[in-house]
Amino acid sequence: MSEAMKQTVDFDARARQVLSQVPLLSARDVEVTFSLRGNKLTAIRRASLDLYEGETLAIVGESGSGKSVFTKCFVGMLDKNGSITHGSIQYDGQELTQLSEKEWLKIRGKKIAMVTQDPMTSLNPLKTVGYQIQEAVELHQGLRGRAAKEETLRILEAVGISDAARRYKQYPHEFSGGMRQRVVIAIAVACRPQILICDEPTTALDVTIQAQILDLIRRLQKEQNMTIIYITHDLGVVANVADRVAVMYAGQVIEIGMANEIFFDPWHPYTWALLSALPQLGVKGEKLPAIDGTPPNLFNKIQGDAFAPRNKHALNIDFLEEPPMYEVTATHQVKAWLRDPRAPKVDQPQSIARLAESKTETGTDPNAYHPHLDPNRETLIQVKNMQVTFGTGRKKFVAVDDVNFEIYKGETFALVGESGSGKTTIGRALVRINPITGGEVYLNGQKINGKISKEQDLKVIRSCQMIFQDPMASLNERAKVDYIVSEGLINHHLYKNEAEREEKVQKALEEVGLLPEFSSRFPHEFSGGQRQRIGIARALIMEPQFIVADEPISALDVSIRAQVLNLLNDLKKKRGLTYMFIAHDLSVVRFISDRIAVIHKGRIVELAEAEELFFHPLHPYTRALLSAVPNPNPYVERSKQLMVYDPDVHDYSVDKPIWNEILPDHFVYGNERELDGYRKELGL
Amino acid sequence: MSKQNKIKSVQELEQPVVDLSIDYNTVDQEPKKERPRGREYPQSRSRMPEKQLFEFAEYKASDAERTGYSNYSYWKSVWQNFLRNKPAVIMSVVFILLFIFTFVSPLISKYTVESIRIDYDRMFTSPNSEFWFGTDNMGRDYWCQVWFATRTSILLAVLVAVGEIILGTVIGLLWGYVRKLDRFFTELYNFVNNVPTIIYMTLIALMVGKSFLIMALAMIFFNWLATARNVRNLVLMYRDREYNLASRCLGTSVGSILARNILPYLISVIILRLALAIPGTIAYETTLTYLGLMDVSRPSLGILLRNARSFFLDYPYLLVFPAGIVSIITITFYLVGNAFSDACDPRNHV
Repeated sequence: MSEAMKQTVDFDARARQVLSQVPLLSARDVEVTFSLRGNKLTAIRRASLDLYEGETLAIVGESGSGKSVFTKCFVGMLDKNGSITHGSIQYDGQELTQLSEKEWLKIRGKKIAMVTQDPMTSLNPLKTVGYQIQEAVELHQGLRGRAAKEETLRILEAVGISDAARRYKQYPHEFSGGMRQRVVIAIAVACRPQILICDEPTTALDVTIQAQILDLIRRLQKEQNMTIIYITHDLGVVANVADRVAVMYAGQVIEIGMANEIFFDPWHPYTWALLSALPQLGVKGEKLPAIDGTPPNLFNKIQGDAFAPRNKHALNIDFLEEPPMYEVTATHQVKAWLRDPRAPKVDQPQSIARLAESKTETGTDPNAYHPHLDPNRETLIQVKNMQVTFGTGRKKFVAVDDVNFEIYKGETFALVGESGSGKTTIGRALVRINPITGGEVYLNGQKINGKISKEQDLKVIRSCQMIFQDPMASLNERAKVDYIVSEGLINHHLYKNEAEREEKVQKALEEVGLLPEFSSRFPHEFSGGQRQRIGIARALIMEPQFIVADEPISALDVSIRAQVLNLLNDLKKKRGLTYMFIAHDLSVVRFISDRIAVIHKGRIVELAEAEELFFHPLHPYTRALLSAVPNPNPYVERSKQLMVYDPDVHDYSVDKPIWNEILPDHFVYGNERELDGYRKELGL
Repeated sequence: MSKQNKIKSVQELEQPVVDLSIDYNTVDQEPKKERPRGREYPQSRSRMPEKQLFEFAEYKASDAERTGYSNYSYWKSVWQNFLRNKPAVIMSVVFILLFIFTFVSPLISKYTVESIRIDYDRMFTSPNSEFWFGTDNMGRDYWCQVWFATRTSILLAVLVAVGEIILGTVIGLLWGYVRKLDRFFTELYNFVNNVPTIIYMTLIALMVGKSFLIMALAMIFFNWLATARNVRNLVLMYRDREYNLASRCLGTSVGSILARNILPYLISVIILRLALAIPGTIAYETTLTYLGLMDVSRPSLGILLRNARSFFLDYPYLLVFPAGIVSIITITFYLVGNAFSDACDPRNHV
């Protein structure tokens, strides 16, 4: 890491600033319980947190860790069945836990505002965007009529929406996801709050848009001198924005410190595990250090350290008593028995050191086998001029156009693109859920699209399977795991008797790391990661050759992702599977795939070997995508240069673009003039 | 896996994932070389020496997998939720007793429907020890008529309701799931639905006949449409969910997808419709009787109500008994239907 990079942010100065201040908001031993049909759920278990003026505090944790609930206490927006049962929250001389709804109105929105995750649901679809911002302006700034409108237009421009006068009159559906999130932010900052709570503000957005939104929030923070709490599960986002980081687990803050302390010198085993599980720090071809299991059920009483059952460094005392907060530095506290003087010495895992040295490019095992480099490589899937359209006549929409690629036996072929780029459509077309409207698909040299014999159809179904994105939606909630997993067996009569079927189901469950007794349970009893593994077992039981994995980890928590990635890699080795891995996150793709295809607006614009693509990206869209990849090192992340892709740079009016193999196994889409430019860059 | 095994594993899960052994070697402070390593779990800290407290516990991956879930069964939760709704439970007990009583009553009453005869000397006798519900305008015992009519009406209502729900659900599922059938059924629906049903019923009653079975079939034939339309709209909500795509990927037949993936999600709606169809049919039957489209030789609640209409100002008991029973049936099925469909909705299970 260069010294220049280190100067991008001076954490020591910020630490001194924090130490010299009185907290702006101070939460002490907060306990929040929800009652659900007679059962008590303790969502926050005596968590404490200080917030200092002008800082950006990131709260990291998995879903269910209580990060959202905790911050909702600061704005008095707990759901009706929840209440603060213990502790105090001091802000501006007031005790927030005791406020009445009327008193809240003076604080919520005006002093402490909130931006929520989903820009689709936080705006009213029936009112114009201008009206919604102006409403906040009128309510909180007391402006009326023309003055209010002018202020609204000013705010719209401030959040980076060009042509504000025209946009003022438009409805939310006329805005893209990123634009809508800007509007939500505009409403939140309209009343110049002192504290802005951003609850996963970019989770629903594409990486390139995410980077822009983060920049916007940072700029607004400077202009208005706001204090920001950032809730996220994405460590890349944390590295980008945070001065201080609080890590939450099972309703408690288990480690808190300056961002550099948390990233480079963490001391809680959970923080270690979270950081080590990042694919960016993994070595390709090796296992990622995953955290087994799932977070605890907060309906039960938790004894000792909640993380203990999943902790590979757990001490006996972790199962018995809750650890106190130990001080590492004045700004860095950790709740782990490992810091006790009596505890044995444990070194931080190696990947933490790798992060500090900024070796955040995925390492590659030099001996790893890459099927596409094999001189005897066999083509498993071949796609020729594929086109997929939806609708007919005037409503016709071309989702995928003129796509060509080959997938070799035994490789992981990644398809990367933004939402709406057509990557899922291609995946679904390969397993024939979406019929293709043009072109051909071959499996082992045999055509599988269009009319084929019944016998071959069954064979293709068995050889091509799919893993779905959302583990919550992809399992039938009303069927037992037993039925879900054996569905394929039943359809194809792949068993002789009941006993054999059950045995196969149990074997499949064990293979994906689940207990065989799970077969008699219903899907909703499982966590996201477990559900995703059930989905994998369902596909595996057909003994396929080829699996389309459609964003299999994007809906999962950070600690769970590594489990699923490891499982996919294991199965690939053990069974000689071939994957098509669809993703929007390039850091994951680099870890798992042999070759990467980048897709933009239904067309593949570049296709190359994974490392080649990262080192020599040619197409401007690929470059923009790569520049936005989040990096878990705060210094690197904050010094990255964003590139924005503008499709207008291509002039295809005369010189028509072609799909060209510019180097062996490196394809790019462009016209002759562009290809010449690329060749020059590569030194050909 | 055997049932015993399952129960055992559930108990295991509820227990802490650690065993309860203590290393007494160190308690006694006797130096011994081998100390068992494991996830010790003594009752209190005092029983474990400090030295052992700060030793590494053995890591078990399968224990990590076990954390965090509950023991749940769908139908058990449905049943428990239903039982929590006291009015619905009480009314369903009342209804069941009422229905059983329609079969028992001929055994304890002095007259039966088959044996009663017209006797103008006894007309409009108020309820007394001889005629428990009095007599009607032709001097016939009202008690045995009311109970026979109740039985007939309930049988008709259940027959028609079950028939229309089964037909409507099956057709609605296909209508919603198979894209090619959508046009056909939509047009059929529009065609049939645009003419008032009462006209079809009149035509059938006059041209084919008014017997119990014909009218029941006719009612089924014209009532399934509403159910089918309702089911179809719901199927559209579920059709393109990812789990259905997954089933298509596995080559599951349309029939299995409908039966295993979609129908279970519609159960609460279907049960509600079924429950409401029963009082609906009784009301409909009353209307048809009123218009003279039902066979009057077999007493039903509709027929009794129609007869009572002319005399109830002078002899209110003629109306009160059948109307009371109709009310009980209507209220029961309304309450039970709502309670059951709420109970079927997994969002209401914790």
